[in-house]
Amino acid sequence: MRIELDNVWKSYGTGDAQFWALQEVSFTASDGDFVSIVGPSGSGKSTMLHLLGCLDLPTKGAVRVDDASIEDLSDHQMSRIRRDKIGFVFQQYFLNASMTALQNVLLPMDLAGVDGGRKKAAAALEVVGLGHRLGSFSSELSGGEQQRVAIARALANHPSIVLADEPTGSLDSKTGKAVLDMLISLNEEKDLGIVMVTHDETVASTANESIHVLDGRISR
Amino acid sequence: MQWIILANAKKRKARVVMTVAGIAIGVATLFALLALSAGIEQALDREISGMGAHILLLPEGCPYELTLSLMQGSDAFEHIPVEMLPTIQEVANVEVAVPVAVGKAKVNGQLNSIYGTTPEILGIRSWGIESFEGAVVGSDVAEKLGLEVGDVLNIQLYSSVELPISTILEPTFGRDDTFVFVPMELAQEVLGLGNQLSAVLVRTEVVSESTQTQYTLGRMSDIQAVPPSEVFDRLIELFVSVKQTLILITAIAIVAGILTTMNTMTMAVYERKQEIGILRALGSTRFNVFKLFVAESLFLSLLGGAVGLVGGYVATLFLPQNSGFGLEATPQFSFLYLVICLAVAVVVGVSSSLYPAMAAARTQPIKTLREL
Repeated sequence: MRIELDNVWKSYGTGDAQFWALQEVSFTASDGDFVSIVGPSGSGKSTMLHLLGCLDLPTKGAVRVDDASIEDLSDHQMSRIRRDKIGFVFQQYFLNASMTALQNVLLPMDLAGVDGGRKKAAAALEVVGLGHRLGSFSSELSGGEQQRVAIARALANHPSIVLADEPTGSLDSKTGKAVLDMLISLNEEKDLGIVMVTHDETVASTANESIHVLDGRISR
Repeated sequence: MQWIILANAKKRKARVVMTVAGIAIGVATLFALLALSAGIEQALDREISGMGAHILLLPEGCPYELTLSLMQGSDAFEHIPVEMLPTIQEVANVEVAVPVAVGKAKVNGQLNSIYGTTPEILGIRSWGIESFEGAVVGSDVAEKLGLEVGDVLNIQLYSSVELPISTILEPTFGRDDTFVFVPMELAQEVLGLGNQLSAVLVRTEVVSESTQTQYTLGRMSDIQAVPPSEVFDRLIELFVSVKQTLILITAIAIVAGILTTMNTMTMAVYERKQEIGILRALGSTRFNVFKLFVAESLFLSLLGGAVGLVGGYVATLFLPQNSGFGLEATPQFSFLYLVICLAVAVVVGVSSSLYPAMAAARTQPIKTLREL
């Protein structure tokens, strides 16, 4: 799988209030890549991630998934790409508080109509070291555990690429390192493409490649 | 999808309870109304056909009011002179004409209906007894006053008489169970009716010619001849119009329920914006989200419907059973009412969830994520 941003511009607001979050951005992510997007708050790195994740459309330029422009895709088709090919990990985890760890991982599987979802969800949690917390609600889990559940959820439908938005941003350094190690091993062992947004240079250095974003432009 | 609905329901117990209660009250009201209406219609049919008459001869006045008075054992202001009885009996096709005088009097100190008549009553009632002597007591009265055959009744209003009980009737499950049947002259004396009758029950020899007989009897002065079926139809019409009004009121309550549920669901959409946004980010299509909200509402409505059916059933057990025309009516339950009530619950569920489900389906994941 290949996701490409081709000379992408993205603005918010209109008229005098128009603000360019991204300008002339070109970038490609494929299976097996481990890229970090580094930049300060408001630099446009999360906007890049949203475009890569088919959550948003560019104002100018093109976003292509396997050479198909997402502007030509229906909302339904974009949902299918998100469901089957992309995994998301967020800084605040965004687990469903009314569901157990197992149910949170089962959710995307259920959306995809996967057979034997419970077993597979339990196996995914086992992979992230939470095989003993299947029935725990997010309120009963530590931050690190919640992020590991979020990673298991992102991996539920065997995506080609995982998009991680500040995955260690809410964690202490030790737990953050454990989460990064997990992402590294997933990239190395399962050839999973990872695009990680971070403002932390140390975290960014764990990736194979880093790109820097400043004021909506790729600086280096 | 079921487990997602259950997980959400567990998280929002108070909201679930309130929504289910709202729907349950509407369904319970409808179910009880339908069951009681059927019970009242059945009681009316049973009472009128239980009279055993092909033609009712009543004094002048509203025939329906007079029939109801007769069924309830209450004296009406209008009466038929007893002298007309031989003339009535001589009309062609009249097999038997049973005079009746009814009213309330004190029986052993307690107010009760007295039903004065003649032994000819045995020809038109199916009591399974062979003679009509002394007092014939309905089963409910006997139980209420602790009476047995051979006991002497004291009946008192305009005069006081003593009368031994010859028979206690087997339960008829109609108003006869609540009457004390006594000889005609004695009833007239106690009730102060003189030589007057409340009604005459006529049985014809050839039923197919009853209309002609009714016409002949109806031409006599001071009386009117009415077929019980006509009285039944008219009273049912009257009752149906009351029932329709009640159903209309219930329908308004149900519409209010729909709006309340719609409001609840719309609020839920705003409260669950983050959850919906994440769901969409994880790959849920708009239709998936729409389905989820409709299914949740349907689940709550069916739960409310089930609770309402049980509540409606229980409510009918505690409602006064003589609420329709003063007749003792047992609520009638049928599978059809169950289906109607559940269908109403489903309509409430689906219609109240359409707008909020569409609003939820329109949620843009990117908008939600940017707001978080």
